[in-house]
Amino acid sequence: MAKIELIGVTKRFGKTTALNNVTLEVHDKEFFVLFGPAGAGKTTLLNNIAGIQIPEEGMVKIGGQIVNQVDPAERNVAMVFENYALYPHMTVYDNIASPLRSPRYKKDEGYIKDAVQRVAALMKIEMLLERLPSQLSNGQRQRVALGRALVREPNVFLMDEPLAHLDAKLRNHMRSELKEMQAAFATTSIYVTHDFMEAMSLGDRIAIINNGEIVQLGTGDEIYYMPCNEFVAQLMGDPEINLLSCRLVKGDGGYSVVWDEAPEHRMFMPANNALFDRFEKLSRADIHMGIRPQNAHYHFEPVEGAIRGTVYAFETIGNKSVLTAQIGDTHLRMIAPNGLPVNLDQDVYVTFDIDRAIFFDAGSTEYIGRFDEAAIRELAAAQAKEA
Amino acid sequence: MAKLTLKNLYKRYDNSGKKHKTVNNFAVNDLNLDCRDGEFVALLGPSGCGKTTTLRMIAGLEDITKGEIFIGDRLVNNLHPKDRHIGLAFEDYAMYPPLTVYENIAFNLRAKKVDKAEIDRRVREIAKLLRCEELLNMMPVKLSGGQKQRVNIARAIVRRPELLLMDEPLSHLDGKMRQAMRVEIKRLHNEIECTSVYVTHDQLEAMSLADRIAIMDLGVLQQFGTPMEVYDDPVNEFVAAFIGEPPMNILKTKVIKHEGEFFFTFEESNLRILVPRRYYNKVSDGMLVKMGVRPMDLYIGGADSKGTPERVAMFENLGDERRIGVRVGDNLMMLITEDETRYRQGDVIRLEVNGEKTHLFDIETGDRIRSGQ
Repeated sequence: MAKIELIGVTKRFGKTTALNNVTLEVHDKEFFVLFGPAGAGKTTLLNNIAGIQIPEEGMVKIGGQIVNQVDPAERNVAMVFENYALYPHMTVYDNIASPLRSPRYKKDEGYIKDAVQRVAALMKIEMLLERLPSQLSNGQRQRVALGRALVREPNVFLMDEPLAHLDAKLRNHMRSELKEMQAAFATTSIYVTHDFMEAMSLGDRIAIINNGEIVQLGTGDEIYYMPCNEFVAQLMGDPEINLLSCRLVKGDGGYSVVWDEAPEHRMFMPANNALFDRFEKLSRADIHMGIRPQNAHYHFEPVEGAIRGTVYAFETIGNKSVLTAQIGDTHLRMIAPNGLPVNLDQDVYVTFDIDRAIFFDAGSTEYIGRFDEAAIRELAAAQAKEA
Repeated sequence: MAKLTLKNLYKRYDNSGKKHKTVNNFAVNDLNLDCRDGEFVALLGPSGCGKTTTLRMIAGLEDITKGEIFIGDRLVNNLHPKDRHIGLAFEDYAMYPPLTVYENIAFNLRAKKVDKAEIDRRVREIAKLLRCEELLNMMPVKLSGGQKQRVNIARAIVRRPELLLMDEPLSHLDGKMRQAMRVEIKRLHNEIECTSVYVTHDQLEAMSLADRIAIMDLGVLQQFGTPMEVYDDPVNEFVAAFIGEPPMNILKTKVIKHEGEFFFTFEESNLRILVPRRYYNKVSDGMLVKMGVRPMDLYIGGADSKGTPERVAMFENLGDERRIGVRVGDNLMMLITEDETRYRQGDVIRLEVNGEKTHLFDIETGDRIRSGQ
């Protein structure tokens, strides 16, 4: 049993506060992701768990024991950094065996053989044990590196952006391979990344960290669909969510939304008492409406309720494309199929799935709600139960 | 403005600095390319494919071993770079540090003794086009990466070149800035319609910017076509694998005949895929071939599906979309879906393939085997 607890952890470097009163619990055998921009404090948090750094305030507990004063080597933590460097002159077997042959863990060869076989079976690399790293595919090398970290059965497995140095194509591939292996770890794991796809894909739960503080903690779905503020909404998703300055108009027993760039259009909100109650409590009529690019739609003919703009850009992001419309001073991103015949500056008409919009307070930028929140809470509850 | 023609172009380096694997030491091997007047062409390929060497030969910065380069109707092989009427924007934006942005942009016009009022008019016009008017009085050290690249491009086009050559101009910029500049370059080209050659190793950049893409490997042109041609109709396995993100699934398969129908079968897998009828005169029982299909062209079948039941080896919820991986021997075959279902590892799905979107490649040469004929 090795749950990890941080209680009021503060870490300073001179006048800079790298971690500010962080309280966090990572469940036993959970795969936990720390996600945030560069300089947010992700790596510092990892280092404080590993014992490479010691917090000025607060407690770090591993498996219920306070480890603030415990030497890094005694914490039984395995760390994987931003590369998987294998010893090129050693076979896969010897690479995996190497931690067990180090002076600290020195084990007899019989023990080592069993341990290597166990890990190789987990990582599905039994047939590769006699090969050299140069004879392996990238995915296989990753498995060997993970096997090497897991062979001494750490209590905690820490990974600091292991895929960050790879180009996009390889990074996606390696992430999928890592996801496939994840269940085999059966070890409490913390994974640091600044890539939202890695966070979404890998994390049982994700903690969003910014300026040394935990901003939001939840499953990928919770954070993606119910981001606690605009900053988080912008982090989760590529292309980025559209944030539109709007006004709420009350009338006809409900609400409609009017976008500042198209004041002549009223977008009627489908009835939803929970959301309307929150609208009711707002002190101001201006709000921000978050529309993800897949929830905005383009038309090349005028259609009922559509807002007119021009095509500002059209570019592929791989298996699909982004059509950017210019409406007033706003660039609005929409998902489109590759190869859509479209000319720059031609007219385009835009509609929104308002039942999938995320509303934010225009002043504080904090989450207000969304039409389908109940359904998303249900999904999240089911996921929590499963985990 | 002018068209650009490359005829049987070769570049051979002495063995001394041999960095890359090339065919017979040719960095560029018998390259033929016709760029239309006003066209935006991307030279795309992995490092060492010969794309930068090609660009440098067009610019006159590199000797031509054999072949001819025409800008418009002028043979430029023996012309000095400054006489070729080209604008250059390279990855490193070497600006003159003691000069303001204005003077940096004006520099080449002054060297050409252009009239002072005319220089001012043109600098301001270009600055407006590139949205860097507010930078004109700044010194280069004060500029961000994106701003420097704007000035760099302004400097390249202020002379109204017949041909604009760009070598990975965005590779120094971080993700968001790169995306923004990509849009700016595309819009700029739309406005000035200057024939442009753009070197990149980033297929998304090439797909987004170019009217046509020339894909090179080992000094040899593999395919020259519009972004959708190279995406939908690749000539060989190299192009198929290089274009697209996530990449096309390309798997070794053995064709078998069963009750009058052909199937793709795979080692260490129960997966069977019906060979589309259009390939029936190209395949035979026992034939080894490679099959390619994009992750978007695989589907999860419904209850009445005839697709092979497959175990979900990997499920990723990426928010915007979901990806499923199925193990086929050593390969993780990827499927992308916007279906909202959250699958779990071990769930069984019926895997269906859009047969019309499958490609066949020769197992030895990697050349595309086309249907019909």
